[in-house]
Amino acid sequence: MSLSTDERAEQARTGAAPERRPVVQRKISLATRLKRDRSMLLMTVPAVALLVLFAYIPMLGNVIAWQKFSPYTGFLYSPWVGWENFVRVFSNPQFINAVENTLTITLFQLVFFFPVPIVLALLLNSVLSPRLKTSIQAIVYLPHFFSWVLVITIFQQMFGGAGLISQVLRAAGREPLTIMSNPDTFLLLITSQAIWKDAGWGIIIFLAALSTVDPSQYEAAAVDGAGRWRRMWHITLPALRPVVILLLILRLGDALTVGFEQLYLQRDAVGAATSEVIDTYVYFQGVQYGDWGFAAAAGLIKGIVSLALVLGANKLAHVFGEAGVYKRS
Amino acid sequence: MNTNQDRQRLMNAPINRRSFLGMLAAGAAVVGVPSLLTACGGTASTGSTNVGGIATTTDHLPTYVPITYAEPDYPSVNGSLPGFEKIPEEFVQSVDAPPGKGSSFTAMTPLWGTPPPTTGNQYYEAVNEMLGSTLTFQIADGNEYGTTLATALAAPKDLPDWVSVPTWNIPPRFASEVVPNVFQDLTPYLAGDKVKKWPNLANIPTAAWSYSSFDGKLYGLPFPTGVINDSIFYRDDILSELGITPDVKNGQDLIDLMVELTDPGAKRYGAHDMWTAATLIHSVVPKWKLTDDGKLLHRVETDEYREALEWNAAVFASGAVHPDVDNTWGKQLFWDGEVVVINDGLGSWHENLAQMLGTNPNWSQTPFPPFGADGNDPTYYKGNPCSIFSFLKKTDDEARVTELLDLANVLAAPFGTTEYDLIANGVEGVHFTRGSDGLPVPTELAASEIQPTYMFLVDGPEANAKVQYPGFVKESSEFTQLAASYAVEPVFWGLQISEPDQYASIGQPFEDLEKDISRGRKSLSDLDAAIETWRSAGGEELRTFYQGILDES
Amino acid sequence: MSNATSEVTRPLDTITQGKPPVRRRRRSKHRPAWEEPATPVGLALKGIALTIVAGVVLVPLYSIVLTSISSKRTISEAGGMVFVPGEITFDAYVQLINGGVVGRAALVSIGITVVGTIISTVVSAMAAYGLSRPGTVWHRPILFLFLITMFFGAGLIPTYLWVSQLGLIDSYWALILPGAVSAFNVLIMRNFFMGIDNGIIEAARIDGASDWRILWQIVMPISRAVTAVIALFYGVGYWNAFFNAVLYIRDTEKWPLQMVLRSYVLQGQPIPGSAGTSVDVATGDIATLAVKMAVMVLALVPVLLVYPFVQRNFAKGVIFGAIKG
Repeated sequence: MSLSTDERAEQARTGAAPERRPVVQRKISLATRLKRDRSMLLMTVPAVALLVLFAYIPMLGNVIAWQKFSPYTGFLYSPWVGWENFVRVFSNPQFINAVENTLTITLFQLVFFFPVPIVLALLLNSVLSPRLKTSIQAIVYLPHFFSWVLVITIFQQMFGGAGLISQVLRAAGREPLTIMSNPDTFLLLITSQAIWKDAGWGIIIFLAALSTVDPSQYEAAAVDGAGRWRRMWHITLPALRPVVILLLILRLGDALTVGFEQLYLQRDAVGAATSEVIDTYVYFQGVQYGDWGFAAAAGLIKGIVSLALVLGANKLAHVFGEAGVYKRS
Repeated sequence: MNTNQDRQRLMNAPINRRSFLGMLAAGAAVVGVPSLLTACGGTASTGSTNVGGIATTTDHLPTYVPITYAEPDYPSVNGSLPGFEKIPEEFVQSVDAPPGKGSSFTAMTPLWGTPPPTTGNQYYEAVNEMLGSTLTFQIADGNEYGTTLATALAAPKDLPDWVSVPTWNIPPRFASEVVPNVFQDLTPYLAGDKVKKWPNLANIPTAAWSYSSFDGKLYGLPFPTGVINDSIFYRDDILSELGITPDVKNGQDLIDLMVELTDPGAKRYGAHDMWTAATLIHSVVPKWKLTDDGKLLHRVETDEYREALEWNAAVFASGAVHPDVDNTWGKQLFWDGEVVVINDGLGSWHENLAQMLGTNPNWSQTPFPPFGADGNDPTYYKGNPCSIFSFLKKTDDEARVTELLDLANVLAAPFGTTEYDLIANGVEGVHFTRGSDGLPVPTELAASEIQPTYMFLVDGPEANAKVQYPGFVKESSEFTQLAASYAVEPVFWGLQISEPDQYASIGQPFEDLEKDISRGRKSLSDLDAAIETWRSAGGEELRTFYQGILDES
Repeated sequence: MSNATSEVTRPLDTITQGKPPVRRRRRSKHRPAWEEPATPVGLALKGIALTIVAGVVLVPLYSIVLTSISSKRTISEAGGMVFVPGEITFDAYVQLINGGVVGRAALVSIGITVVGTIISTVVSAMAAYGLSRPGTVWHRPILFLFLITMFFGAGLIPTYLWVSQLGLIDSYWALILPGAVSAFNVLIMRNFFMGIDNGIIEAARIDGASDWRILWQIVMPISRAVTAVIALFYGVGYWNAFFNAVLYIRDTEKWPLQMVLRSYVLQGQPIPGSAGTSVDVATGDIATLAVKMAVMVLALVPVLLVYPFVQRNFAKGVIFGAIKG
């Protein structure tokens, strides 16, 4: 997820853009400012209330990671067990397996999914007819708006044992496909699903970046004798670089998050050994098996590592002179 | 539509892969906190308990006062369901007046079908009127009931007043945390002769009550069941069309038959996943096997288990299994004739008749007579004394508990009573008409309104009275009598054992393994490795734990 | 502002600033003069590639829709999914609309989507505007409150326990409230609002308009595009939400459509028909597969209906700054 923005606020503070209240603010008392901005603050109240209620209070609820928690005694009365849950998490082979599966999926998709939207964007960018281009865009964005249940069902109807393709194979006297339930090809399957659903939508950001390239650059390069491929290498691809870096950072921050619903829905078909990822593991240990403190600890570890990854990657981007996701003011 | 058919959907669970989990859950997942293990003394009012929360006394159990309202044509043999071929002339009203006080209660039950309409439902109205109180149902998806229960029990505040719990859906930490914190202890109400206030509850066999007890206290209201739950069925209508007369005497015969029946061109396959069949013909124990020298072997360690896996792998390797085995409900394929042999709960038999006879008058299925994989007699292990029980939400309001027990007494009325008839068949003239032979003929309204709801809460002793299908009671009763003659009680049968928490999940890997080995994705050496892991992950301690229970009893 | 406060940048917005998608080459169908003419091979390859890309998306959808309106005979002749049109019938849909479960689930989903989208969009727009004017007191700490939630989630377990503590189990609100505000969407809107010329707002203020009036009567009308996109994001989120229902809904009567889709189509349980029996049993001449596909189409339709109206807004550059890749 990409963050946006306070560009204009920045400008505002540096005086580049008109201030909302050009009067010198520092001299106004807090009470006056509160009174003046009363309505503006009130507008944020519902959203803030929802965030507090459904994001911040649950964040505090992570204290149960240090408890032998039972919903029947509540977190006030459940016994504190120190770091026991964390120790159990790290020494649990199923958790380690879930982490391995998660990282494998992330890496695999980084190699095989990540470049797809870039290629698609370049392809689409080379389409000259605006009508055709818009139509193709409309088509490829579409699956992004389908639910995972729907996407997996579509895959099942196409590639399942009784799906369209198996039907053809069977008619030809061949064995039907088993990829919907074969753990060995599961990585391939979920990556194909991810590509089908989201690769199209992914191109939107690259197309935006491409649209910013000044055409005169191409013209100048062409006049200098640069061919199609050289122009792509020296003009188009560099234009995509900040976006690519931004997305890589975000992906890194999400490294421990791989399609929860997608995997949850297909867990039965291929078994937990292949499909268990951190999120599904947390769910099953907590909600299904009632080991609340343990599951909360596992979830918390994931949350903290993810946060560290985003911050770290962002720092790295700064080191390389890129804007990254956010910057300190 | 009839009720028992739906009650027995319960027993159809073994068709999917939840079955093993279910069986494990029934035992393994019933866990006990350490405090339970030490609290041997029990309390004055209830029985004392041993290791595993097993009562050493029977003071907490209700006195058994059997009543008979109708004589079965096929009496129970070794625990088989009694069969009734005809409806009694007169139904007996077993409870004089509506016992309820007009209160409203909520109840949560599983359903393997379409939720009935909630407004204007004449069936609900009629039964609630008979009860004198209003029961409102929250109907949850039966196939996901384990998930639903787990999430519901974690929010005790929002729990309905009355919760149905299938034994295969018992969530982890149930005995240790859930039962004592969430549910009402019924011992003070039902122990000993106190139950006589509710004669239909007193008519429930002791084993079922015993199985509904936790830590020496009575918590559950049982739904008693017969001892034979699963069978291997085939579509005899299709076989006779093909001119095949099955003669299956051993495991190889069955595989050969299923291969013979397979014709992908005609979209016909011999088998669905035959894992339950494999455990049946190999006489795999439900949980523990007592060896001749008095040692306990876990199910997964037994030769029978290994052979069953090998056999099921051979079934898959033979190509007779439907390619959609992992993503289409077996029952649907069986209905459609795409799968000709299937293992399923006994109850599916008449359930399928109800489903299919309307559109396919020739529909017929029949079970293979019992056989062992090696051609010898099989050993069937009896199922739990009740396959489902229900619990009342904990309350300090004694009047409310008494009122709910009053209602339970009505719901537990056995075959031959007006109460049973209303719950099973609905209102005459609305939900059914009487045919010339006095048998009920369900109306269309019955199909949508009468779904198993009340009966998933509590039930009298189970009976087979599917009189509406010609020949069914005879055929099925004779089959179950025969099958029951091979039935023995597995060690620890009928005991509600609370295992310590840490063993709750060590059996999980086997569920995947059963699938993987069957499908040829893993080999028996993986089983060896998994058994080793199991032993070191607490399996040995679990064995010691059970050995302790064995030694004490 | 203290050093500790993170300031969010808009890398892409920086790029696109002042240049809303320029239609350089698109303005004319002709190739720019400096570009070399296309080779026939290149054109052919491009054509093939585009056809494949479009086909990969459209073919499955085509087959699903076609199967849902095919007769039982056509389906059994095809041996399953239909690819070549045969007998056309809408019986499967009639069956679904008459039959209790699927129709009810569709209504539940529509209700949740409509109510949820309205709440989310209104709340987000208000928050976005409240935070969009630089200099507003406390706007930075509040903004920070939003940002944190994008980097650190509470986790499933505490969230679940808390929602159940709130008594939302089996309540439709459990499907709406926990995800009602997405910080990401608020920031997109805020980003857009910040681009609105301050002069308009100041002028309105001088005329005595309150901030509320400015928001509804000035800001919102000129922010239709971004609002439509955000509403689509929220709406699609609600429509597609599946796992929340697994967690919070136990009564099958309250199931949203995605749950029904999973049970009856993905897991292959028999679809209940109006008479309480399975659909194909109740009505012997409708194929089960057609009904399943009709459920899928039902789940697709709202997305397909709304999408074209919003899709053109994607191109307006309002959200490029913050689209997820």
